[in-house]
Amino acid sequence: MIYELKIEDDVPKTVNSFLKQLLESGKVDAVLAMQETPSGKSAFPTMISDPEKLNTNVFAPLLPVSTGAMVSRLTKIKGSDKPLAVVLRACEIRALTELLKLKQADLENIVLIGVDCPGTFPMKTYSNYPGDDDPTEVVLKGESEENMRTACLNCKDPVPETADMIIGIFGADTDKAILLDTRTENGQELVSDMKLSEVATEEDREKAVLEIRNKRDEARKAFIDEHSDIAGVDKLLEFFDTCVNCHNCMKACPICYCRECLFESDVFDVEASKYMAKAKSKGAYKTPTDSLLFHVTRFNHMILSCVECGLCEQACPSDIPLMDIITAIAENAQAEFEYLPGRDPEEEMPMIVYREDEFLDVGEK
Amino acid sequence: MVMITIDSKEYEAIPGETVLDVAKRNNVFIPTLCHHPSVEPYSACRLCVVGVTQKGWTKVTASCSLLIKEGMEIKTSSPRIDRSRKILMELYLARCPESSELKEVASKLGVDSSRFKTYTEPNEKCILCGLCVNVCEQVMGVGAIGFANRGAAREVIPPFQEHSDVCTTCGACAFVCPTQCIDLSEISTQTPEPLLSDYDAGLAERKAVHIPFPQAIPNVPIIDKDACMYALNGTCKSCENFCEPEAILYDQEDEDININIGSVILSPGADVYEPPEGDSLGYGLYPNVLTSLEFERMLSASGPFQGHIKRLSDGEEPKKIAWLQCIGSRDESCDHKYCSSVCCMYSIKEAVIAKEHLPGLDTHIYFMDMRTFGKDFERYYERAEDEYGVVFRRSRVPRIEQNRETGELSVRYINDNGDVEIESYDMVVLAVGMQPCDTLPDLASIVNVNLNGYGFIEVDPYYNVETSRSGIYASGSATEPKDIPESVIEASAAAAIAARDIKDARGSEVTTKEYPRERDVSNEFPRTGVFLCHCGINIGGIIDIQKVKEYVQRLPYVALADDETFSCSQDSLERIKERINELGLNRIVVASCTPRTHEPLFQDTLREAGLNPHLFEMVNLRDQNSWVHRDNPVLATEKAKETVAMGVVRVNEMRAVSHEKFPVVQKALVIGGGISGMSSAIALSDQGFDVYLIEREEELGGLSRDVHLGIGDEDPQKLLEEMISKTTEHENISLYTGAILEDIDGYVGNYTSRISHEGTTETIEHGAVVVATGGEAYEPTEYSYEDSENIITQKEFEKDLASGKKYLGDLKEVVMIQCVGSRNDEHPYCSRICCSNAIKNAVRLKENNPDVSVYVLYRDIRTYGFKEDSLYRKARGKGVFFIKFDENEEPQVDLKKGKITVQTKDKILQRDMILNPDKLVLSVGVVPGENTALAQQLKVPLNSDGFYSEAHMKLRPVEFSADGIFLCGLAHSPRFMDEAIAQARAASSRAATILSKEYLETGGSVANIASRRCAGCKLCVNICPYDALDYDEEKRIVIVNEILCQGCGACAAICPSGTAQQNSFTKRQIMSMIDECIR
Repeated sequence: MIYELKIEDDVPKTVNSFLKQLLESGKVDAVLAMQETPSGKSAFPTMISDPEKLNTNVFAPLLPVSTGAMVSRLTKIKGSDKPLAVVLRACEIRALTELLKLKQADLENIVLIGVDCPGTFPMKTYSNYPGDDDPTEVVLKGESEENMRTACLNCKDPVPETADMIIGIFGADTDKAILLDTRTENGQELVSDMKLSEVATEEDREKAVLEIRNKRDEARKAFIDEHSDIAGVDKLLEFFDTCVNCHNCMKACPICYCRECLFESDVFDVEASKYMAKAKSKGAYKTPTDSLLFHVTRFNHMILSCVECGLCEQACPSDIPLMDIITAIAENAQAEFEYLPGRDPEEEMPMIVYREDEFLDVGEK
Repeated sequence: MVMITIDSKEYEAIPGETVLDVAKRNNVFIPTLCHHPSVEPYSACRLCVVGVTQKGWTKVTASCSLLIKEGMEIKTSSPRIDRSRKILMELYLARCPESSELKEVASKLGVDSSRFKTYTEPNEKCILCGLCVNVCEQVMGVGAIGFANRGAAREVIPPFQEHSDVCTTCGACAFVCPTQCIDLSEISTQTPEPLLSDYDAGLAERKAVHIPFPQAIPNVPIIDKDACMYALNGTCKSCENFCEPEAILYDQEDEDININIGSVILSPGADVYEPPEGDSLGYGLYPNVLTSLEFERMLSASGPFQGHIKRLSDGEEPKKIAWLQCIGSRDESCDHKYCSSVCCMYSIKEAVIAKEHLPGLDTHIYFMDMRTFGKDFERYYERAEDEYGVVFRRSRVPRIEQNRETGELSVRYINDNGDVEIESYDMVVLAVGMQPCDTLPDLASIVNVNLNGYGFIEVDPYYNVETSRSGIYASGSATEPKDIPESVIEASAAAAIAARDIKDARGSEVTTKEYPRERDVSNEFPRTGVFLCHCGINIGGIIDIQKVKEYVQRLPYVALADDETFSCSQDSLERIKERINELGLNRIVVASCTPRTHEPLFQDTLREAGLNPHLFEMVNLRDQNSWVHRDNPVLATEKAKETVAMGVVRVNEMRAVSHEKFPVVQKALVIGGGISGMSSAIALSDQGFDVYLIEREEELGGLSRDVHLGIGDEDPQKLLEEMISKTTEHENISLYTGAILEDIDGYVGNYTSRISHEGTTETIEHGAVVVATGGEAYEPTEYSYEDSENIITQKEFEKDLASGKKYLGDLKEVVMIQCVGSRNDEHPYCSRICCSNAIKNAVRLKENNPDVSVYVLYRDIRTYGFKEDSLYRKARGKGVFFIKFDENEEPQVDLKKGKITVQTKDKILQRDMILNPDKLVLSVGVVPGENTALAQQLKVPLNSDGFYSEAHMKLRPVEFSADGIFLCGLAHSPRFMDEAIAQARAASSRAATILSKEYLETGGSVANIASRRCAGCKLCVNICPYDALDYDEEKRIVIVNEILCQGCGACAAICPSGTAQQNSFTKRQIMSMIDECIR
């Protein structure tokens, strides 16, 4: 069912007032949504239980952390006792879906509200947005994409299909109204007491969604082609040349769920004599030795579930354009298994189930 | 011990040795053509010349006859020596320009052509080295050949150039000849007979000293005394010159050994039928007519042709092969009236594998009835036809003719339309059957058991491992032809019954070895001892052990590197122990052969020296190095260095592993009280174990309550009665009828189950589970079964026959339809028993009422084994009509005013037949019971037909992959009562392997999950094939069940964080090993 939310002042305020209504209705005890920090330079997913403290901007075009990973943090020990509404973008819901498959989150008492995402800016760009424009307004109008994050420009799907309800802007005239698409019984139940009017036709939205998906798909294809020359060990070594082995990419990644990364354990610790022996046979030996191994191992572990949120790239202190290779690796690896992370919570992850007839062309028959 | 110097390096030498001996032992290359360890050096070829410096003088002389002296200095190469060798080589080449062996040696010496003129015959190969003359004279003591003439005309011939009658055709001359130029037929008056390998079905030769087959136990060579020249005439003894450990006992004799035993199991197997040579099939006459066993060896990668299929006539790859079935089976002319049961399946297998080896190969199988009656066999047959394109032709081929010019074999057969056709093949395989082994009558008379009319061991019709003499049991194809799964089942069944007889003596002759207390080395830095094994010349002949030793000595933490001729010899093991204690070694690497055979031996040595056996690593320098890199000793040595170094870094990270003990509840739960469940319970309790037997119904017996007639005069109901009373009266069996298994928890050795029974729930503990839940008879809906009381199932008809219903005497015509509910889309398997049951009933009817016409409409008659004769042949003799129908043209049944009309197409007469039977009997198949719920409770798999899936069809036919759970009877697959009883007994025998232990020990290298780091993602739980990982719902982490863990490492591979690791294969160890080999 798609309803209209009439604009009050502007789009963020309209959503804020909708969330306020939700909180006041008592159907949820708290809302987890993007709210600006007091400085106004940034916004973070914030848990709000007092309707008066609601000052959300769910369209704030930045992704400081993945709300999906936050939900995992909140619920992996124990699910929520009280009803909670969480507002997330498409890539965040996809990450959450993968974490659910990995038993790293619990959706008990949680309702997922998705928002259409026109794209986000890097943190630095958002906090010092050039000119006098409000970055939220810029993206809502769809005017400028030049400063957006690579991940967003090549987004796999900006529509949060699997949410309980979607707050939509694609196919809406955001000067007049935005859309509220209830996708599940839970979602419908939340708004059952509100007086909402249904949209006349769903065609406009369908058309707009198709359009943006096509646009992203094309961009993505071109992007992968453009970087197809990064292949082979030498190219990879060059690509990661400036890696300082800080593991920030792993820490920012919503899919990297290990309590302690293998690369932070003692597996790769060795005595001096061993390094000296290496140096002796090669003449010279760079340390740390496991930079590239770390990255390829991390890809090996998470790439099938990679939702391409681009948080790794944003976290890199050396500005390594990680999405240049991750986009292609994720695309190809996932295609091999006909798997799309986040597509369906019921879909089993590849490799974890034994299939006799998998990869016959590389294995033994 | 004397020291000599070869090429500036010192070597130890034993007085009496020659320089060449020392060089050979130490891998120093000196070329030679005429040297052989068994023959006195003769200095003929002169290629082995070396430079000797003594007292300042240097001379060049042959090293093969040069005895060593203290301080001798030898040079194996110098301009003078090399020149001398090259000239000799050129002279040899001039004499024998075509010899490939000479060319090979020449190229090693850098000679590629000869400057001298060839003066001999163009094909001359003899270099006149005299090795053959010497070996014949000195070693074999015969002297059949010698040198004749002088100068250019010198040659080796028998006296007077006449065929020698003293030559024994032993072949020693040909064996030692460096240029392989000897043809025995030119020497001897006798025709040499090659020794053929039995294992290779006569397709390859073997030596008099040989290992009979690769799986032989013990895996050591034997001397064939009928071929050994020493055994025959006291000469030769050459082999002792090669055996370094001096292990050959020429005078070993057979000895009598007396042992006290409580029961005997006869498993001598069967012989393969040998088709008479030169009969109409041309076996033995036409080289491309093979037996299936010969073809099987040809297909084998370890066979005489390394798995290449080729025609024996010309070595060409065949394009078309035919298999002829029933050779020596179902054939009165050779007195084999029985069916051999296995040939249909193996022929299909051979055809499929042959097609995989040779794409595009045409394979045709000529058969009478396709007997794929075993579990999953019908599917294999269908796949062979549909997916692989194997062609099946229903025709018995009477003769094969060979085209003399092309060698093609033509086969005459009758096609589906009844016309005679001829087709040509490159090869024909005779699918030969089984016959009793020729030694069986002797064995039977020694142990005093009866043989049956077919010459096999006579067994009880229901207890088919019990012979005519109590205490003596038999299994396998010695009692009736059968395939591997059935033989393995019977073997375990026989073991169960044999164990019953001697249950009180169980464990009474076991002695426990005492070991010293284990030293705690956890706080010590590694002090690693590396022991390198030469394995005689197996390793040391290729790999330069000294270089490996020098390399390894320099590695971190290596306290000692040592080498031994044979590390596994008793004195070497003692030395390892001494070194451990002397030097305080706390990690040991043995670089020798394969851990598969030798790891336990060395681990035991560690334990004897007070070290934990897991502080050990074995590096395979033989199977995976010297044996496969014979041609490249330099790189083999490099590889040895790296692999030993990898072993060292791995062992340095080894931690002591303790094996935890879990007590076993020595009781079993048997689920199902049919013939299988009862047999299993009785067998278990007879072996001294307590058994809980639960049956869903109020009454015991299951499907066997419907079996009223035996194949002979045995009475199935009497058997059932006896079994029920034995079950109810047995003191070790707690019986629950009308009972249901509510739930089951635990693992092998320790299960807790709740059983609801008569309104109450009881909790029981047990250590093993036997699933004997049986199957069900198919309820037909086809052929108007529900519409007439004169259309009945075989089961109903059998009951009427057994009770002698009056209508039977009035019957004029009875039709039986086979494969009702079998071999169709819904049930794509053969139910195995319906052919025999139908024929059994048909015979019984004919015996009581000879005037009745009985028609059996069938697709294939599958009366395997002796049932071919005792039922099928007998029925035909009594005038039962058998009419085949096609699976696509099933008989049509019409019912008008109570009158039954059956219409079927007769393939042979090519016309429709109309029958009007008084009774139409449907031979319904067996369908699986409601197995899904129990399968989920026990976490065991079902196959696609709904029967339970065993762990391995041949090797573990009554076990599930999950330890501690076993299966038998119709829960496994359709089968006869005797087969079900055997399987039930087998399951009890396998269960007893667990129940007879007081404790189960965990394996050493089990998985290890660090709970602090576990994120609880369950990836490992899903991937574990042994169900050994449990998810703790509360703590949200995974816990290893060490009893169930088999140490496969799947969890360690899938765990991204390295939280799940495997003891002794930790990530650190693997990383260090990789680091070591790619440094």
